[in-house]
Amino acid sequence: MQLKRSAFGAIVIVAALAVADEAAAQVVDFDTTHTVYYEAPIRTHMFVYSPGVNLAAHPWSFLDVHGGWEADVVSGASVKIKAGSAYKASQPAADVISVASVHDLRNVGKGGFTLKKDAVSFDAGYTYSTEHDYRSNSVNATARTELFEHNTQLQIDWSRNWDSACDKTQTVNATAEQAVPLEDSVGCFTSLAGRTTRPIAIDSFQGGWSQAWTPTIQTQFLYTAQILNGFQSDPYRGVILGQGVSAQEHIPNNRTRHSVTARFNFYLRPIKAALRLSARGYWDTWNIKSITPEIEFEKYLTDSWRASLHFRYYKQSGAIFWSDDYYAGDPPLGPKGAYYTGDRELSPFSSYMGGVRTTYTITPEKGRILGLMSSLKLGGYFEMVQFDYDEYTLAGQTITGGRAFIGGLALSAAF
Amino acid sequence: MRTIFFVLAAASTLSCVTVKPQERAVLADPIMQFEGDPHQSAQLRHAIDNREGSFGGSGVAGGGCGCN
Repeated sequence: MQLKRSAFGAIVIVAALAVADEAAAQVVDFDTTHTVYYEAPIRTHMFVYSPGVNLAAHPWSFLDVHGGWEADVVSGASVKIKAGSAYKASQPAADVISVASVHDLRNVGKGGFTLKKDAVSFDAGYTYSTEHDYRSNSVNATARTELFEHNTQLQIDWSRNWDSACDKTQTVNATAEQAVPLEDSVGCFTSLAGRTTRPIAIDSFQGGWSQAWTPTIQTQFLYTAQILNGFQSDPYRGVILGQGVSAQEHIPNNRTRHSVTARFNFYLRPIKAALRLSARGYWDTWNIKSITPEIEFEKYLTDSWRASLHFRYYKQSGAIFWSDDYYAGDPPLGPKGAYYTGDRELSPFSSYMGGVRTTYTITPEKGRILGLMSSLKLGGYFEMVQFDYDEYTLAGQTITGGRAFIGGLALSAAF
Repeated sequence: MRTIFFVLAAASTLSCVTVKPQERAVLADPIMQFEGDPHQSAQLRHAIDNREGSFGGSGVAGGGCGCN
């Protein structure tokens, strides 16, 4: 399989070189990135390895063709039954923090093309992804134009997902409170009794305006919207409700999300460095609101080597139906209407992320590297994230020192 | 909608020919790109997005979840 993939890549490169415009200096870009995510100590010890390969060919000046593959290899644990402090107080002897091991593999294949003419380009693509319990088909399109001597760029993006999630078949006429969580992903997307498929449709739209103001300052403004319709719960998770009943997580089928982002890039010519600032505001119909200021300072250490420092702060409010304990308790505990979830990503929390990034680029002035490559780029980064949960607990036990470590390596070559 | 159009048009007109093509070398430098290394940034965003309740500002292409 590995050999077949390598052979396919070689054929694509040779074919692209063969049909390339003679005047084109660079006809194929190869890119591979590898990211590792490790989260501790929120009792999950979630470990995710994400490899990715991308290939882009530029056979003619008006056409780019691109494709890629990426994956997530997931192992760890997730909270299987969510309970809060009030329930724990009523059941002091019970071990109410239940976790289940998680092993999954997400594979993503994607392909597309870009048509270019003068200052206008149009991009379209298709993505298919599969997991043990989730499948996704997605098409996306982007139109971009440049105005005023390329100082103004306008862009619109659209995508549509036709996704499906695996769920447990519930008994006829079962109410939401009687729904039982899915035990595992065995038999998902087959005709096995006890398994069913739930659809999710996602429409996403983004509009962007990038502007060069001076030879060293440029800005970007983005508006993103997304409409989701379908099954969005974690099918495996149970939540303790009134009378100590455990029911499958139940959250609304509809969600509309909006965000606005402003970015500011400033080049510091005397020290050959750039300062990048951004701020994002987000709100949705589940009443989650968030802000994300971010700052990055990147400097050339030599002509080929650059390094950056990065800091990001994130703060969000909780979903309107989120509670740490649906069993009982005084506000903010207690039931919150018809819906219930144990998802900590829907709880109010903040996070701090800081890290470093470095990139080394080799671009020979004459000839090619190994007689093939017009440039070669190596990169790496490391980030640490600290999560501070305002209300989320594990059966009343506050999470302290929730941290994630993210590291990545990348290699890019232009042929 | 009309207000947004006029604001965009006015702002763009203000910046018209501010930066001449021969002055754009710095703006085209990799360290001045909004997305940085797009593939590396996309993987980092994917890791973070699965741990947060919000979304947006970095493209809309789909591709499943991987968020157990």
